[in-house]
Amino acid sequence: MIGCRFSSLSKHLIFIGILSIATGCATTQTSEGVGDPDPFEPANRVFFDVNETLDKHLLKPIAEAYVEITPVVVRTSVTNFFDNLTYLNVILNAFLQGKFDQGLSDMTRFIFNSTVGIAGLFDVATPMGLPEHDEDFGQTLAVWGVDKGSYLYIPLLGPNTARDTTDFVPSTLLNPFFYVSNALLFPVSALNTINSRANLLEASDLRDEAAIDPYAFTREAHLQQREYLIYDGNPPIIGYDDIFSENGDNESGVLIIE
Amino acid sequence: MKNFNNNGFKEMTSKHYQFQYVFKVLLGICMIIFAIPLWAEIEQEQEQAIHAPVNQLHETLINIMENADSASFQERYALMEAVITENFKTPLIAKVVLSRYWKSLDENTQTDFIDLFNRLTISTYVNRFDSFNGESFKNLSIEPMKKNRVMVKTEFVQPDDKPVSFNYIVQNYNGQWKIISVIANGINDLSLKRAEYSSVIKARGFDVLVASMEEKISDLQPK
Repeated sequence: MIGCRFSSLSKHLIFIGILSIATGCATTQTSEGVGDPDPFEPANRVFFDVNETLDKHLLKPIAEAYVEITPVVVRTSVTNFFDNLTYLNVILNAFLQGKFDQGLSDMTRFIFNSTVGIAGLFDVATPMGLPEHDEDFGQTLAVWGVDKGSYLYIPLLGPNTARDTTDFVPSTLLNPFFYVSNALLFPVSALNTINSRANLLEASDLRDEAAIDPYAFTREAHLQQREYLIYDGNPPIIGYDDIFSENGDNESGVLIIE
Repeated sequence: MKNFNNNGFKEMTSKHYQFQYVFKVLLGICMIIFAIPLWAEIEQEQEQAIHAPVNQLHETLINIMENADSASFQERYALMEAVITENFKTPLIAKVVLSRYWKSLDENTQTDFIDLFNRLTISTYVNRFDSFNGESFKNLSIEPMKKNRVMVKTEFVQPDDKPVSFNYIVQNYNGQWKIISVIANGINDLSLKRAEYSSVIKARGFDVLVASMEEKISDLQPK
């Protein structure tokens, strides 16, 4: 089970952008930007508490019930379907970051999963050597040299940064489901939210188990995870050295990387 | 004759130097040939020494996972305690995690905090690595850092899921390498805790942090 618990740790950090629930915390060793990453902390904490309350009393119980009644294979297909819908944004951002090989691989992946994989319900591409990637417009802007800006905890959506909120536009416009305007829209969106939350149950339990200050834990984990994604899992080592420097923190006790 | 003699002398001297030159080159080649395996051996020993604390941690983690059902929490705790005491530089970790608050504590409180932090670390490992499904650890590479620190890159291989990257910062203390930071899938445990603890201390004080950590340790025990 530990395998699950640790993979869920990573999902837990990836999921942070997806869902309204979450995790949280303060400093980050990042190669970009210097200064307090959380100037709006009082407001962010209020939104965090609201989201946590909503999650605890509404979304989490629904997600737990959903896990109880739905077989794993069904949940996997639901996850595959929604992941595939967001994949055009991944492809676009791979190209915008100059990753042409990855972009072509992702395009082929999208075509295979959308056709042979029956509208994305089955991930036939990964076994074919076309792995899933994680790109978005926030990462693209980071690659282009844009600073992450302030940390923001957005009501219902969860942890974010000023830079990364820009992803809302391309990710919405490139999601085919955005152009569906019939009665299906609400139930399918609800299913997406519940399924996404269900995928994070173990991760959020892990956070609750480990965190002494869940807000601060979530913020730190989110900022570090974003850095990790921007560098495709290989962030510069230099950032990790600075925590040992005697002058590595500022007045607010927040770690600064210089 | 004079010329001949001179030429003969020059020729002899030149041959002498040629011989010396060839000899030196051959000697150099021999030294390199012998030095390569020696150097490689030293490097290999160094690599083994760097990997030692990480390998010991990994072996113990796999051990407690495999024996999650047969050994009690206390037994597994004792195994983890031994490996963490031996291979982690906990006093440094505790100091870095408390950041600027460290200096405001008296020596006894600092010692107590190191002990508390150590107990929380061990309890967390025992609690998380609580079952075995064929997982393993794989060493990937060693990368240099500033001063006498290096990063040991490894991954946690899971049969039914994506591998999880586990990187360790290890530092040389008088020839023995100790773990000073663990980074799981890009999340640095040290900076995560540092941020969290400073947030708690700032808002509610050091005593509340200590009480919260004791409560966590208690929650991590089997009920």
